[in-house]
Amino acid sequence: MEQHETRQVTFHGEGAKLFGIYIVNILLTLVTLGLYYPWARAALLRYMYEESEFEGSRFTFHGTGKEMFIGFIKAIGVFLGLYCILFAAAATRSTTITLIGVAVFYIGFLLLIPIAIHGALRYRTSRSSWRGIHFGYRGDRKEFLNMFIVGSLITLCTLGIYGAWFVIEIRKYIFKHLRFGNITFSYEGEGAAFFWLNVKGYFLSLITLGIYSFWWVKDLFGYYVNNIRMYQGETRLTFRSTATAGGYFKLIVINMLIIVLSLGLATPWAIVRAMHFVFSNIHIDGPLDVNAIAQTEADYTDATGEDLADIIDIGIV
Amino acid sequence: MYNFSVRYHDGRLSIAHDATLTLMPDHWLIHYLDPSGELTSVRWALSGIVTDENFSNLYIFRYGEFPQQTIEAKDENLPPMLKKQYPEKIFFKRRVTDIFKLNNATIAGVALAVLMLLGLGYWFGLPWLAGAVAARIPVSAETKMGETMYDNMILAYDVDHQLTARVNDFAKAIDFKTEYPVRVTVVKEKDANAFALPGGNIVVFDGIIRKMKAKEELAALLAHEVSHVHYRHSLRNIFRSLGGYLFLSLLLNDINGVATVLADNSNMLANLTYSRELETEADRKGMDVLKSNGISLEGFVDLFKLLKSEYGDAGSLKLLSTHPLTEERLREAEMRAKGQDGIAENIGLQEAWAEIGLLQKK
Repeated sequence: MEQHETRQVTFHGEGAKLFGIYIVNILLTLVTLGLYYPWARAALLRYMYEESEFEGSRFTFHGTGKEMFIGFIKAIGVFLGLYCILFAAAATRSTTITLIGVAVFYIGFLLLIPIAIHGALRYRTSRSSWRGIHFGYRGDRKEFLNMFIVGSLITLCTLGIYGAWFVIEIRKYIFKHLRFGNITFSYEGEGAAFFWLNVKGYFLSLITLGIYSFWWVKDLFGYYVNNIRMYQGETRLTFRSTATAGGYFKLIVINMLIIVLSLGLATPWAIVRAMHFVFSNIHIDGPLDVNAIAQTEADYTDATGEDLADIIDIGIV
Repeated sequence: MYNFSVRYHDGRLSIAHDATLTLMPDHWLIHYLDPSGELTSVRWALSGIVTDENFSNLYIFRYGEFPQQTIEAKDENLPPMLKKQYPEKIFFKRRVTDIFKLNNATIAGVALAVLMLLGLGYWFGLPWLAGAVAARIPVSAETKMGETMYDNMILAYDVDHQLTARVNDFAKAIDFKTEYPVRVTVVKEKDANAFALPGGNIVVFDGIIRKMKAKEELAALLAHEVSHVHYRHSLRNIFRSLGGYLFLSLLLNDINGVATVLADNSNMLANLTYSRELETEADRKGMDVLKSNGISLEGFVDLFKLLKSEYGDAGSLKLLSTHPLTEERLREAEMRAKGQDGIAENIGLQEAWAEIGLLQKK
């Protein structure tokens, strides 16, 4: 009987409410020449978390506009610094110095990516809770940075082929260090399987003029979800994707139509549809004692990574 | 004594206790049965209670240091009761975001109003702002900018120095009524084209001069381009497209790629419409200049006929063209030429034109 135990996160968001949030956010961001942006993001995240329910309780995002504003200013400072180096180097009108400046700019930019991912994970997980129990990320920045640099270099040297193994390695690292109270996680994917999945998806999509791409995204989503494990003490729980290519086809085509036909205005409804799709297609199988998750993580309020990731446009969760 | 049923989380374990909240004068009391069946009570001092900002009708309060204790209440009567019981403590701050709690019709109404405001701002506010900003740029800065643009641009062309000197003599015989120094550069290009840069530099392709039959045509062309300079059209155009770009990127920052592409393209179309308006203005002001110089407006009529024979008149392209339809411009010029009086012969202009003609026969 325990084998049949399965749970889901449900999303209750409404397009109209999300639309209202977007409109107010856009207006205030415009009026304040962009300064309101961190508060806008905080409001959006609060709303999305609040509408996500698990076992009768809603999730909470604790981040505040103020925290995110401080992070935003720091992140902008980092970017301004990089651009200043670039422009100062270009202003010397010396080819060597300009080239060094450009190199520093790009290397700095590349280093920012892992730093941003790390910071964003630390902040986002720490500010997320359910029934008062906080999530957490215990990854080590130096370790992650090293892994990222080595992985990027190998990927570059192998003309991108190692990329598949690299992605899996990152996922493994992140899940290994993810916490939800005393619950731990792991990711069981393998580089080779992920690589062939992508090769197959790429070529079949080419041959079928893109029609196969719906199966490809389904497979990618499945490979991500099906390899997540969750541990409560000795108990192991598995994640299971029920997404189908047909489901993806319906989601993507209708969302495209919604966005294009409304000239982008109905985007919030498309987002709500996508959230419904994702949550309704993830099942958590196994006997979970939802009353016994204990608080383990410490507080963390530095939002710089979150804002950096947002500026570089890295989407996490 | 007021009691409310709530859910309580102690911040240590994920168990949800069904609890009773009692509002005491200076603190809250929370009672619940713990799993072993024992009645447990928790005391929250009023000053440490924080209300969660939220968008729904679930009221969440937190208390204490991290990890915080939490209560969730759904009772609609709780907020008014809190206000009555503790008039000195504000539990629910009024915020702009409160409109999210209104019903969908109100949100849609507000959204529509905001969209209309944004639209008005984009279509009328931006061009006005572009003009206002352009008007505040000092002439010296504009001239310097124009010079830099000119220096970079002219490298790509082969300048006809003799023709340049003659056309400048020709231009000096016309009073353009502008404080900008008008400097014409003729370059060797076959196309019938000319453009003006901020600050007074005008580049004319020799192709268009060769096709001209009368001095009035050249006068009309120069008058049109000088109007661009005088009314700072380049600056206004730059600020308009820059403003439009900033406006849209702020607006769509959060939204997806498809919407951004759509918006970029419509912004480009809007820019084209704007530059067509500027062209029409340059035509009109250019005609005023010719008129006050006693030069026949037939110059404009002939110039447009020349352009028409060069480029044809593909009506379907109107939406995508920076210039107004040649047919429309021609009709406008013909109308104004009909009513013109006070045409006077200008000896200086005549002589300069003869020189240009001589140079081209060589």
